[in-house]
Amino acid sequence: MAFIPSRIKKHDTNPGEAKLNLNSMMDMFTIILLFLLKTYSTEGQLISPSRYLELPTSTIQQHPEVGLDLVVSKNLILVNDEPVADMEQVRENDPKTIANGIITPLFEKLRYYATQAKKIETEYGVKFSGKITIQGDKDLNYADLVKVMRTCGASDYPNMRLVVYRKE
Amino acid sequence: MAYRPSFRRTHEEGEAEPNLTPIMNLMVVLIPLLLTSAEYIKIGVIELNLPPAAGPAQVEQQRPQEKTRTLDLTVSITDKGFYISSAIAVLRPGDGKGPSVPLMADGSYDFEKLSRMLLDVKRKAEGKFPDIEAITIQAEPGVHYQTLVSTMDAARSVRVDGQLFVLFPQVALSAGII
Repeated sequence: MAFIPSRIKKHDTNPGEAKLNLNSMMDMFTIILLFLLKTYSTEGQLISPSRYLELPTSTIQQHPEVGLDLVVSKNLILVNDEPVADMEQVRENDPKTIANGIITPLFEKLRYYATQAKKIETEYGVKFSGKITIQGDKDLNYADLVKVMRTCGASDYPNMRLVVYRKE
Repeated sequence: MAYRPSFRRTHEEGEAEPNLTPIMNLMVVLIPLLLTSAEYIKIGVIELNLPPAAGPAQVEQQRPQEKTRTLDLTVSITDKGFYISSAIAVLRPGDGKGPSVPLMADGSYDFEKLSRMLLDVKRKAEGKFPDIEAITIQAEPGVHYQTLVSTMDAARSVRVDGQLFVLFPQVALSAGII
């Protein structure tokens, strides 16, 4: 006679330890991880685009650098998120705001930041580079842009960086 | 009575499974970390360096240098199109009138043609002038910032038949026609 199957084992419905199959999940995670690692930039986001404006797009591949943050939106000029001048007055060459093609309130604010930075340079040796990042709205007029840039140049910030969206 | 069948022959050896828990831990931590720091909007910058505000003494020092012959390439953006001028020639369209690169039929600027004309200038001027990388852009007061940025793009480099030619990457802005 052949081997008799065990009667006890026949009724044993407990399949033992339930095992989760992790293979497909591991595959997925590995792919996501590789993708993220590839797109990861070590610099992080140095400039967060302001929500008051739409930046122009450009084919340039240069990456942003740290600098004083200047935003020229449709209605306001902001330095470090602090409103400085009204665009309406800048556009209309209001004598209270504009003098010799220079935006006076912006000039004073930038001078203040420049003197602060220079003080830090003499005290702690952090070099003052005169870098300023300009975020301008894409519909900004050239005449107003020139006013802003002239003001930057006059107030010890000659190294301007125009912030744009990169298009591939 | 028969023998009991061999245990080794009828039972498969259980697969040795590696312990995946530490790897899973790593993934669960790394993926949210990378996701939060991922850069979705690509941001770039266009560098524009003005000479630092110069006093009268520095201006004196710079004067002798002006004797060398320079290209002085200038692109003017107007509401009719682009005007290109340089030490070689002022570029004109076929009939000798109007802008070097007129607007396209739908009223938008013809950046491709501008690039091609600047490439011609570059080829003609190559090696003859010291300021072969420099270009001055000026514009009418009402020209939009996007147009200016696109003009800078057109003047920086051009892709012809899949080959990239560097044109004039050193851009200077001029207050120009105001």
